[in-house]
Amino acid sequence: MAKSVTEEAGRPVKEAAKPARPPASSGNLFGLCLAAWLVPGSGHLLLGRRWRALILFVSIVGMFVMGIAMQGQYFSLGSGSYLHSLGYFAELAVGVPMRAATFFGYGGGDTYFVCSDYGTAFLIAAGMLNVLTVLDAYDIAGGRKP
Amino acid sequence: MVISHFTALVLFSFLVSVVFAVLSKEKLRDQVIYGAKVFLGFVGIALFLGWIMYPFA
Repeated sequence: MAKSVTEEAGRPVKEAAKPARPPASSGNLFGLCLAAWLVPGSGHLLLGRRWRALILFVSIVGMFVMGIAMQGQYFSLGSGSYLHSLGYFAELAVGVPMRAATFFGYGGGDTYFVCSDYGTAFLIAAGMLNVLTVLDAYDIAGGRKP
Repeated sequence: MVISHFTALVLFSFLVSVVFAVLSKEKLRDQVIYGAKVFLGFVGIALFLGWIMYPFA
């Protein structure tokens, strides 16, 4: 009996039958990345990856909340230091949680608190992880990742 | 929240490992294995460097 093309190629039939995701339009990509930045994990949620979205949201927001709990420092652009400016953008990358914390009264941390340095590291890392999350959502939507 | 340096290290490593694993791998088993490797790498290297720096403390 003649073999199918996929069997002859040596690939499992199930894998070969999986349709490739068509790349999203540039407008959709921009909206997706914006949503992914504003709310950690929302990009993956919009792409249908619910569990992945939930895990990313809990991890990144959890890390941010721990940073707040440890009185991590908020950086600002007007400090005159390039490193502080980089820190500002790193913290801004976490999206809405940063503004929400300010809205609910977080004044930028107490640098004299014993764990403040750890908290600052957590705040910055949460932002940086969200950047990775946005890039991952971009790659999936663009068809570069399954 | 007052925690020790080691506790902060473990928490940080765990959260970063989870995100790395979820973003890097597709299957759950692969994610768990990769996440565990990254976590152990973070903590292990931190402990190693800590001991390297100990004589100079």
